[in-house]
Order: sequence, then structure tokens, then C-alpha cells
Amino acid sequence: MEFKLEAHRIVSISLGKIYNSRAQRGGIKLHKNLLVSLVLRSARQVYLSDPCPGLYLAGHPGAPALPQQPGESVAGPPACWGEPPPPAACAAWPEPEPQLELPAVLEVPRAGDAEPAAPVTGAGDTLQGREAEAAEAAWCRVEGPRETAVGGAGVPAGGSDVFPQGPGAARRPWGCPPGDEDKTSVPADRPAPGSTPLKKPRRNSEEQSGGAAAAAAAAQEEEEMETGNVANLISIFGSSFSGLLRKSPGGGREEAEGEESGPEAAEPGQICCDKPVLRDINPWSTAIVAF
Amino acid sequence: MLVCQGPGIGSVTHKSTWALGARTKKWLLADVISTVEFSHSGDLLATGDKGGRVVIFQREQENKSRPHSRGEYNVYSTFQSHEPEFDYLKSLEIEEKINKIRWLPQQGAARFLLSTNDKTIKLWKISERDKRAEGYNLKDEDGRLRDPLRITALRVPILKPMDLMVEASPRRIFANAHTYHINSISVNSDHETYLSADDLRINLWHLEITDRSFNIVDIKPANMEELTEVITAAEFHPHQCNVLVYSSSKGTIRLCDMRSSALCDRHSKFFEEPEDPSSRSFFSEIISSVSDVKFSHSGRYMMTRDYLSVKVWDLNMESRPVETHQVHEYLRSKLCSLYENDCIFDKFECCWNGSDSAIMTGSYNNFFRMFDRTTWRDVTLEASRENSKPRASLKPRRVCAGGKRKKDEVSVDSLDFSKKILHTAWHPVENIIAVAATNNLYIFQDKAN
Repeated sequence: MEFKLEAHRIVSISLGKIYNSRAQRGGIKLHKNLLVSLVLRSARQVYLSDPCPGLYLAGHPGAPALPQQPGESVAGPPACWGEPPPPAACAAWPEPEPQLELPAVLEVPRAGDAEPAAPVTGAGDTLQGREAEAAEAAWCRVEGPRETAVGGAGVPAGGSDVFPQGPGAARRPWGCPPGDEDKTSVPADRPAPGSTPLKKPRRNSEEQSGGAAAAAAAAQEEEEMETGNVANLISIFGSSFSGLLRKSPGGGREEAEGEESGPEAAEPGQICCDKPVLRDINPWSTAIVAF
Repeated sequence: MLVCQGPGIGSVTHKSTWALGARTKKWLLADVISTVEFSHSGDLLATGDKGGRVVIFQREQENKSRPHSRGEYNVYSTFQSHEPEFDYLKSLEIEEKINKIRWLPQQGAARFLLSTNDKTIKLWKISERDKRAEGYNLKDEDGRLRDPLRITALRVPILKPMDLMVEASPRRIFANAHTYHINSISVNSDHETYLSADDLRINLWHLEITDRSFNIVDIKPANMEELTEVITAAEFHPHQCNVLVYSSSKGTIRLCDMRSSALCDRHSKFFEEPEDPSSRSFFSEIISSVSDVKFSHSGRYMMTRDYLSVKVWDLNMESRPVETHQVHEYLRSKLCSLYENDCIFDKFECCWNGSDSAIMTGSYNNFFRMFDRTTWRDVTLEASRENSKPRASLKPRRVCAGGKRKKDEVSVDSLDFSKKILHTAWHPVENIIAVAATNNLYIFQDKAN
């Protein structure tokens, strides 16, 4: 159990580093963020693969029906966490939010990488409530999209030129509705072609540096050190909490959907449901919402 | 920058000692030193700092009347090499911090060095002026132009001695060739070309040509999400102008031969030590990342520095290093804390002595370590004014990893991780070392034997 706590702590610390790296002078350091993402991945693997059966709250509606795929199953993680999802959180999850998130996620996995899609759909069937789906979706987006290059606005060719903040970060999910492209457009980013310049100032301040990475890549002729918006990763986790605080579903949706893949090195198909993790990262809620 | 120097270092055996000298000079630069480099003859020592300044020290000529000040280093020139810039297109600030300085071999009276920040490399010419012309016709001594119509006689200007003035002027600016942060520059043995390396690419430049460079290594994946490693350091072979090495964040070193192909993406040699599975942790990957790679002067060996150790490799053997020296193994159990406070990302450099018989690298608490490769002895020394009496020998330090702390030992928990020695340099010929401790520069010299 100590390993899980340690892993959890390391995940939190790593996310914090990635988030703080946006504000670094001189631009985001690729090397450091790569290393942090590797630690994040290792810690997450430990966290997810360390089985602690029996600790999950028995009787939770969705739990028994979860498919058991080691490491990638939605069921795995919930079975391991010691805390049952607080009923309040479940109830308070804004209803429209997960619905809107899900299509984005389903559109994300493409180009032969079916792994992320499978757990998502599987999760949809069995997980309790929509929150898990939403979180899963968010996490998929964070982790998955090696595959995002295909389709989508004709940008993929240029997308490879975009340098993510951490590896795997900058690629925007092509399935995201154009509306959320704006929210990550900030001074550093070129606006996505065709995106409407609807920027919520609050989101802009939160998500800088490279949100419109792939879209921007189409417009650029030279490469650029596009340090993708890994802070969105934080926002993903934050959204589970700020969704509770934000009254408008629209805001929550924007928050969750603008996400790009997280700072993961190439590791296809690593999906997990971190909803309980999200819940547990309580300090992050205040920190993130504060932005 | 505070410079402390003096006599008193010897070879790295138990019989010899290193000592801090009597005289110290205070300089008011407040910035952290970010690079230290001796010139090829060792008479000049260049330092770069986070503020973009370069300070060059020159060794005094030995003076028989003052035997105690054997060749001390005094400030020779100070100039602002790089300024902070702003990339408006990407909305990113470009730090002025000097990442590396490399001297060019001396040709002529003037001295040349390359200094680089994250994006731009500059070639600086440092020249002395000890004469000036007086008696111009068209202008007064204070520079005001004279009315040509009023000049009735002509005179020939004469050269008069003046106080030595050292001028630094930028002769070339090599810009716009790097998308990512430059981490290394290395002058080739042909004295005509040099390489610059960033996280994903290495470019080859000609010293005379600033508007183009050749990309010789490119490890950027087509899909950036598949990125798994970055280039951390690169260097040309000291004698073979076609050979270069670059290290990666995965702990591997690749040797490339520029004769084999124009693009050296495929290495000629691949150096990697298999990982010890028993020491695997969350941070195994981070601590295996190579922070510095240096060829020996002979060109037969190269040395790599990762977070906890220094490894010497024989260029003829790729499977494992021939020597591994533990720098601060007692930190292995503290990796999580070091990850939290970001110390685990510190990039320590390493250096050879002139004869390749000893290597040196820095650690925390202002400690630095020296390893004698012939006697297999090592020593830990501290760069600190408080603990160094003038002309006294530097006392070897010991770190107590656990258990009962002996007298004079420092316990791991009391180490000051904000005092880190990342940059050290060894005189190319003599036993003189320069150690940068945050914003202080320490120069230790060999005691007269």
C-alpha cells in the first residue's frame, strides 16, 4: 500500500512540476519535462498495477461489473483504492459535462489505435455514473492520442512539427469541437485555423503555451518549439473538482475538452480510470481552481 | 562573483593537498556562474553567468619577487555577451544565461571564444590595446572634429603607450539555427568548424559562415508524442575531426563519424551500460540521464556524468564503461526528496586533468570530488571560504551516509542542496582547478612541492 501512496504522491508532484514549467523563463525545458513525464508514467503504472483487492467499497453499483484488464481496465484502479467515491461527488458531477466529454474522446482514438477506444466504451457500459466516464475520457485524452494526427483539419502533417511541452502533449484531439480550440489559444499559440476567437479570459490565463499546437502547425512554415499545453493535464484533474464548483456546464465542458494528450512518452493504450485519483488529489483542486 | 584563489593543491593522492590561497578578491557580480572554461594554454579562464556576462581571468606572470603569488588569476576582461531576448512569434523569453563557453585555439595575438545561450552562439574576439594614436589631423584629442579649412599643416599621428585595455568585440553571430535549447558547443580539431547541439539536433557550423549551418544529427521523431530521449551533451573528438559523440537522456552515448554519411543519425558506436535491475526505482531513468560527456585529452577515452556517478569509457568498448566512480551514492535513498526539490535535474559537469590521470566533478554542499585513476583514490573537498584558511591545505571531507556520525563528518541530512557545484574546470597542463560554487569562483593551485 505504501507503494501506491508513494506513487500517488509522485504523480501529484510530477503534475505540479509540469504545470509550473509553463511559467518558466526561457520557455519550457524539453529535457526536464520529458524526465518528469517518464516518472509520471512509472508512478502511474505502479499505482495502477498494484492490486489491493477488497479495499474498494463493496456494493458500489458499478464495481462488480467492471471488466478486468490488467493495467488498462477501468475496473482495476477502482478496485484498488481504499476510499469509496463520496456520494456527494457523484451527485454533484454536472450532468452535461461527461456527455460532452465523451464524444471528444471517442473521436480521439484513430488511426489504428483502438486500445484507448475499447476501455472507454467498456467503461461507459459498466462504470457507475458518468463521472467515471468523464474522468476516463479526460485521462484517455491525456494519455492516448498518439493517434490524433489523423484527419482533423488537415493539420497532421504540420502537427508533427509541433513540439509538445512534454512528449505527447501538444497534439490536440482532432475530435474536439472547434469551440474549445480557442480556449487554449494564448499569446504563444497561433489560433487554430477556423476556430472562432472565443476566449474565456480565465481559461487563457490558465492554459498558455502551445494549446493550439497542431492547428498552428499547419500555418507555420518553420518549426517551432511548441511547448504544448500540458497544463491542460492539470486542468483535467482540476475539472473534476472545479466542475463541482462551477455552476455552468459549459465552462466545465470547455475545461475538459480542450485537453491535449498528457506529457507521456510513447506508450500506446495506457488507459486507466483515475477518477478516484482525481478525487484524492485534494490539494490540487484548490490550487487549480485558484487559477 | 567572489574569486578565491591561492596555492596549495597537489595531485590526488593522500600525500598531496589542495589549499586555498591567501589573497581573495571580491567582485560584485551577483549572478550565478553557469560555465567555466580554461583556454588551451591555460593562461586565460573564462566564466559565463546567468546574467549573460562573460568574465575572463588571466594568469599573472610568475614573479620571482613575489613567490607566493604564483600565477594568480586576475580579471582580464568583462563583457556582456548575451542579452535577454523575446521571441515575439512564440511569445517566449530567451534567457541570456551563458550555457557554454569554448575557446578557440590561439592564432595570433587576439583570443577568440564562442559563447552561447539557449538560441544564439557568438564568436568573440578579445584583443589587447596598449597603444593609442595621438596627433590626428582631423580631430582633436578629445575627438571633436576640426574644421578642415582651418588646418594649415599636417602631422603624422604617433603611437603612444597607454594603459592596457582589453576589448571584446563580437565577430560572428550564429543565430536562428536551433528550435530547442542549445546545451553544447564544441570546436573541432580542424579549427574551422564547430558543432552546436540542442535537445534534438546537432548542427555543424563553419566559423566564418553565419548564415547557414549543416544539420548532422536529428533525433526528432516524426510524431513528437513518440519522443523518448533528448540530446544532453555533444563533443568533437580532440584529434579526429570527423568524430563526435553525443549523450542522451537515456544514459546512452553515440559516436558518429561524419565521413560515413552527411546525416549522422545512424551512429557508428553505441555506448550503453545495461541497467542493474535491482536498483530500479521511479527515478532510474532520471538518474541515468547523462549530463556531460568529455573526451580525454588523449582521445582514447571519454567520460560521462550521470546523477550519481562518473563513468570512463574506452572508445573501443561499447558494452560497458571501464571505470565507474560513485560521486555521492548516499543520495540514492533520497531520490524522492531530490525529485521534489528539483535537485535531481541538476546537470553536473566533469573534467579531466591535463594528463588524463584524474577526473573531477561537483556535488552538493559545495563539495567537489576528485578521482585519481592511477591510484584509484578519491577525495571530497569543499569550496568554501569559511572552511579554508589561507594557504592551508584543503581538508578532505567525508559524508556520513548513515549510522553514527564521526567527528568532522557531515551527515547526509545536513547537506545544503542549494550549494551545488555544477561547473568545474581543470587547467590543461598544470594542477590548477577552477570551481564555480553558485556565484563564487574558487581557484585552487598546486602547492609547491
